[in-house]
Amino acid sequence: MESGDGGDGEIEKEEDLEMGELLKDRFRLSVITIAESEAKKQSMEVSETVVACIADLAFKLTEQLAKDVEMFAQHAGRKSVNMEDVILSAHRNAHLMTLLRNFSHELKGKEPQSERKRKKCSKKNDKLLQT
Amino acid sequence: MDAWFAAVRSSVHWFGMGDTFDSDLIHSIFKLIWKRTSARDEDTALIDVEADGGTSKKSRPTTANAGALKISCELLRLFVTEAVQRAAIIAEAEGTEKIEPTHLERILPQLLLDF
Repeated sequence: MESGDGGDGEIEKEEDLEMGELLKDRFRLSVITIAESEAKKQSMEVSETVVACIADLAFKLTEQLAKDVEMFAQHAGRKSVNMEDVILSAHRNAHLMTLLRNFSHELKGKEPQSERKRKKCSKKNDKLLQT
Repeated sequence: MDAWFAAVRSSVHWFGMGDTFDSDLIHSIFKLIWKRTSARDEDTALIDVEADGGTSKKSRPTTANAGALKISCELLRLFVTEAVQRAAIIAEAEGTEKIEPTHLERILPQLLLDF
């Protein structure tokens, strides 16, 4: 993938497009699975066109999401995107934001990291005491 | 009925925990898009930053941690399920069993505003 960084920008661009198509196809398959199982839950059928549309929209959403979270991370002076960035990307919809926040709490619950938090807190307290 | 449940359960098992997106897939898509935007940035940077001397942050590959990817998957999953659920409500109101493009059209504006 990242072999050609010399003058063969054309080839790289082509590879890039090919990769994009491949990822898009894999993404579409996931959407089909999710949409069909959701329809089954509602005891409904979905026409193929509808699923294809939803897949396209979801892919566009993914692209937008990627750009958003990258900007948020950069704004915070980070190179790595973290959970808060993704949650922030849903800030227009309070309900969605709470859903995602709960999901992130669930994820965090699986891995204990209370010690680091406590340390940070105590440091803050120290500073407060000093001033 | 039992057989049906078993089939559903096995298919759920087959696709991992419930139906959701694969973190790796989402990560690859993110990386591809970040690569594209950074390439574009470099092109424009050449034009307007040249006077500054060397650019301060030349190659800054953005990465995402595992939690962030999982939440992104959840967000996208919610988008897809919401689309189906809302369209299903319209289809049901019209008395059909199948979700057609017209049903999606009806719910599309609000759906796009909500995500």
